[in-house]
Amino acid sequence: MNRYAMLTAFGQDRPGIVAALAEGLFQLGCNIEDTCMTRLRGEFTMMVMVRLPDGLSADQLASRLTPHTSPLELTVLCREVPAQAAERGSEPDMPIFMLSVYGADHPGIVAQIARVVADHGGNITDMNTRVIGAGDQPVYTMILEVQMPAGSQPEALGQALDHLKPSLGVDLTFRPLEQVRF
Amino acid sequence: MSARPILLYPDPSLKAKTARVSPTNPDVAAIVQDMLDTLKASPGVALAAPQIGQLVQIIVVDVSRKKGEQGHGLVVLLNPRILQQDGPRIIREGCLSVPDYTGNVLRYERTIVQGLSPDGLPITLVASGFEALAFQHELDHLDGTLFLDRIESLSTDLYRRKR
Repeated sequence: MNRYAMLTAFGQDRPGIVAALAEGLFQLGCNIEDTCMTRLRGEFTMMVMVRLPDGLSADQLASRLTPHTSPLELTVLCREVPAQAAERGSEPDMPIFMLSVYGADHPGIVAQIARVVADHGGNITDMNTRVIGAGDQPVYTMILEVQMPAGSQPEALGQALDHLKPSLGVDLTFRPLEQVRF
Repeated sequence: MSARPILLYPDPSLKAKTARVSPTNPDVAAIVQDMLDTLKASPGVALAAPQIGQLVQIIVVDVSRKKGEQGHGLVVLLNPRILQQDGPRIIREGCLSVPDYTGNVLRYERTIVQGLSPDGLPITLVASGFEALAFQHELDHLDGTLFLDRIESLSTDLYRRKR
């Protein structure tokens, strides 16, 4: 049975980090499955799901990678992932909605929005937030992709989100993302 | 004359260039019939000839196979090309030839398509909405372009996009 690990890595961004990580994983016999990498301001951040070779545990992986990552001063963490979560399976098509939220920056926007989404059965499947705007008038922006499983109520969620606008001081749109398959 | 298997990437047919066809070519009718039979047996609304391994410029589109869609009904086009399109929009698209994956691609709300009917008559269609998307997707197949070649963003991260 295949064994999988989730590896997270972060550190000051510079050219060559992906190459060093991928070479290290390759040389250790790991197979890169799915990856998500972005930069949060000046910080490189990456999550990689890897298939482990026989004889290598997730705990050993981080230390065996050190020769590759220490010159880059990366923080690397590894944990084993249950195979049933890591194996590829086809997911049923579910209605997808995009939620854009933006307004003057203040604490609590993400917490309140995410709570309303969760209470309506919505599943946040992708999330990006960023502070933009002029330095003295920071604007918080958030873009969420929300799956609405069968039985959940997108209209009710849309209304609940609208009700949050005045108290949170944000603008938002909640709209379906059309999915087509040809 | 029968339903063919819909080829899956990495079958090389899906990345190949296709040849224009003449309506007088005796092979055309058989290919069109295979495409219609294959479409009928599939869960989809449209097919391009490379998806059944025929490297020729033929598409079949019938959006009325989807509940609530009408469009132009069944359309068979030889040598189709897009004359004009407008109304850019991002949609989440998938393809029968690339199972289990969808991505956000830039398409257009309205498109004008021109081609020949199997009898050789010139046809110009103004399509909108779902049908317009279907034409754009199928014409891409004739160039060996998959939706994977058009993905706008792997996630919802649109911040870095400057247009």
